[in-house]
Amino acid sequence: MAKMTMVQALNLALRQEMERDENVIVLGEDVGVDGGVFRVTDGLHEAFGEERVVDTPLAENGIVGMSIGMAVYGLRPVCEIQFSGFAYQNFHQIENHASRLRWRSQGRYHVPMVLRAPYGGGVRALEHHSESREAFWAHIPGLKMVIPSGPRSARALLVSAIRDPDPVIFYEAKALYRAFREEVPEEEETLPLGESRIAREGDDLTLISYGAMLRPTLSAAEQLEKEDGVSAEVIDLLTISPLDDTLFVTSVKKTGHAMIVHEAPMSFGPGAEIIARLVEKAFYYLEVPIGRVTGYDVVIPLFAREKDYIPSVERITHEARRILET
Amino acid sequence: MTDDQKELRTLTYRDAIREAIHEAMQKDARVFLMGEDVGRYGGCFAVSKRLLEAFGPERIRDTPLSESGFVGAGIGAALGGMRPIVEIMTVNFSLLAAVQIINNAAVYLYMSGGQFNVPIVIRMATGGGRQLAAQHSRSLEGWYAHIPGIKVVSPATLEDARGMLWTALQDPDPVLIFENAGLYNMEGTLAGDAGAVDIDKAHVQRAGKDITIITYSANLYKSLEAAEILAKQGIDAEVIDLRTLRPLDDQTFLASVAKTHRALIVDEGWRSGSISAEISARIMEGAFYELDLPVERLCSVEAPMPYAKHMEDAVLPQVDKIVALVRKMVGANG
Repeated sequence: MAKMTMVQALNLALRQEMERDENVIVLGEDVGVDGGVFRVTDGLHEAFGEERVVDTPLAENGIVGMSIGMAVYGLRPVCEIQFSGFAYQNFHQIENHASRLRWRSQGRYHVPMVLRAPYGGGVRALEHHSESREAFWAHIPGLKMVIPSGPRSARALLVSAIRDPDPVIFYEAKALYRAFREEVPEEEETLPLGESRIAREGDDLTLISYGAMLRPTLSAAEQLEKEDGVSAEVIDLLTISPLDDTLFVTSVKKTGHAMIVHEAPMSFGPGAEIIARLVEKAFYYLEVPIGRVTGYDVVIPLFAREKDYIPSVERITHEARRILET
Repeated sequence: MTDDQKELRTLTYRDAIREAIHEAMQKDARVFLMGEDVGRYGGCFAVSKRLLEAFGPERIRDTPLSESGFVGAGIGAALGGMRPIVEIMTVNFSLLAAVQIINNAAVYLYMSGGQFNVPIVIRMATGGGRQLAAQHSRSLEGWYAHIPGIKVVSPATLEDARGMLWTALQDPDPVLIFENAGLYNMEGTLAGDAGAVDIDKAHVQRAGKDITIITYSANLYKSLEAAEILAKQGIDAEVIDLRTLRPLDDQTFLASVAKTHRALIVDEGWRSGSISAEISARIMEGAFYELDLPVERLCSVEAPMPYAKHMEDAVLPQVDKIVALVRKMVGANG
């Protein structure tokens, strides 16, 4: 096993899948000769040539429309949208075509494509480059919405996404791209889509998170253990939709306390659906109201104020203490 | 005020919106209407019929089938000091303009350091139940409600259809108005002097003490019908019309739940990640200790809208489903 950054792990997944299946095609803005703005597709153009690693114009609607066509035809396109803030250009292609073609054609056609996009703040980027708007995709039936939390899960989930018969939206936290390294096996590894995992076991409080927010959530759990003697369980969702509610419902039945941490704005965000599920499936086990530590209901601020917007270890522990003291 | 102005008139939801546009155009020379077929054809749902004759092609503007283009033009006009009303035929096609709404209209005020407001009003038809199938029947208003920087309203009554537009035009920031296409033919009476109404408060449409039904738009009527059936069975339901989805007036439904101790949300959107989820979360946060049992949600089945009538009916919330769910909830703790 080699220690890899998330960028290297994603690159490994793409490279191995392209070797394994000649139908896998990578396309997007600057993914070819330049190797991608974040270097995720580095070296793929040299290895597989311009027929399989396609530099496109700055036309997100076109990139996604073309991917849908390729996928219907039988290829396995993996398109990159340079920043998730530009993916709104192709909502129409995804919602009105990709997500429902299987249904509309009564199962004759399906759309095995992956849309990769870096999301989230914390890298001092400018406007339209820092949003965390996974809720848009998570609301659409027929789509899978996946967000890995580190190099190893990123590699394993991307392989599964490429092999999935239906469209997968794959968000990669920019803040995690080079933040830390993990052991990533050279041999094939996959993780099932639609399953969450327990990132840390505990008995007193359930913290539910994903993506870039998993690390501060885990740090907060450590701090709560050390300073308060509180044992927090941490759930890493990995797939935002379809939402695997079994693990967190079971966990909350054990702990009686729950809190959600995400970077997206609070109102109508992913946390709302998690709370609604817990109300429906674990209501009688809850000792106090569920907490939400999220981005605020404003446009994500420019970099000078960005840190005040993104949930911090301090905000997480503060809210956890409030819940436990209630 | 003359007696004539006070007199009740009979009209449709469609007529009420047309009156509102007509009045806004008369009162403010900066207001104009733009969209696909709004002019010569009179609007695809006939909302703007005869407005072209009254105001001419400069102010009632037919656009090409290019949602991103004409929403973008509307944003530009708003930045330039106009008060555009942009009509998008249905919410499904608004996705072609999503980048204009999310990345431009919703953020200019912030990105310009407070220098530029975008006083645009975007109207669109939403909702199913008319056998228009998968690409013309969506309810995506909850999805827009997630976007900071815009307001999202959904008139259910003739008063709101008549009165929300003017208030939206006075707002310095973008307002999206969702009109359920199933309501356009709804007939009712309206006072002769009906005019502007607020766009920030939910309304209790039927007072009751046993359960709170929270809904909006066309499902208000299914909920009220269910409440009448339930009343005959001895269950007294309070029915709340949200009216505005963003910002969400949670005080009204929290006060109601504190009284009834039970809550059901009826929402035509897909269940996962819907408006109903945020409402359930707010009740959890603001009225947890008042609840006698879990909040329930009745939403559309998570599938593209079928064309066949019986299948479409099965997908959408219906009166009998509301009645059954309420009976289960009240019986469970009754």
